[in-house]
Amino acid sequence: MEELLDFFIEIGKLKKMPRRGWVINQIKNPESIAEHIFRTAIMSWILGGEKKGLNLEKLIKMALIHDLCEVYAGDITPYDSILPRSKKKLRELMKIWPRFPITERKKRAIDKLKKERRALEKLISKLPARFKKEIRNLWLDYEKGLSPEGRFFRQADRAENFLQALEYWKKYKNPPLGPWWLWAREFFDDPLLLEFIKALDKKFHQK
Amino acid sequence: MAEEKKFYLTKEGLERIKKEYADLKSLKFSKTKGEIPKIWHSEDLNPEYLSFQEDLSFLEVRLAELENIFKNAELIQLPSKEKQNIINLGAQVIVEVDGQRDEFTLVGSLEANPSLGKISNESPVGQALLGHRIGDEVVVSSPIQTVYKIKKIKYRIS
Repeated sequence: MEELLDFFIEIGKLKKMPRRGWVINQIKNPESIAEHIFRTAIMSWILGGEKKGLNLEKLIKMALIHDLCEVYAGDITPYDSILPRSKKKLRELMKIWPRFPITERKKRAIDKLKKERRALEKLISKLPARFKKEIRNLWLDYEKGLSPEGRFFRQADRAENFLQALEYWKKYKNPPLGPWWLWAREFFDDPLLLEFIKALDKKFHQK
Repeated sequence: MAEEKKFYLTKEGLERIKKEYADLKSLKFSKTKGEIPKIWHSEDLNPEYLSFQEDLSFLEVRLAELENIFKNAELIQLPSKEKQNIINLGAQVIVEVDGQRDEFTLVGSLEANPSLGKISNESPVGQALLGHRIGDEVVVSSPIQTVYKIKKIKYRIS
């Protein structure tokens, strides 16, 4: 039981860890990683339930564990390597979506996966074997899109992120939405989530 | 339940999946015989293989998933020479977006990975680019307008 308790204490840190994307966007009182996980789990359950044939239990568990590695690995954003020191330059940078050569993107993706995997292994190391195995498998499924649930969840996770961006924009007129829309139209392809994106457009831009 | 949709795959994508299937079959065979799998010595070992080795049911689910993909796979064909100046599935496209140069490959949903430049033909940008030629300016709007200037189109012949 002590080892389970240690695990719960460690993941509890996510309640106080702000999402880095909002920190670099200078959002006041940004949401924590745990808050993102909470709504992602509900959205995956409800939106996943609107699709045929998805295993909802797997989807909800995937949502619950997908960012646990960030307890040790931190929250990594595409802007990390090019962040300027000046706040003014930072605000300018947030107006563009950073595009890197494909070779550099591949290297970043591999480095991120390795770092997060190491962090996850450290976090779950003392859990009973069956939970360790289940968490690791769900995380790999999400990261690599191994199953229909993994592939759907990768997009559902970002849909929550996009909704949060729009909520902040409505409240603070920040983050700049240009790069978000540009990214969203290249990223989403699930028909249900494309419908969700249309609803976001209607809710936040057409009223 | 398995997805019942067509999976459009590039030749490279189909080969990668075939290799994974062969690797996993051999992993399963070694595991049931209690041997150390030969692929363990491979340098490009996928990180999930260790989990597959540890958990036979996880391995079997993935094998069933790959079989479903094979059953519904459709290989993306190289267009005829006169149509290679038009963006279709499998095209590698160099574009200019908001003053930045970028490179996309138009792929089916299964291979899509926008952070690595693989854009799904079912995404709004993928759909908008399809059918266009070099020099075209493709406008994707709703709600914020973005212009994709098509600089180059090529198809990988392999």
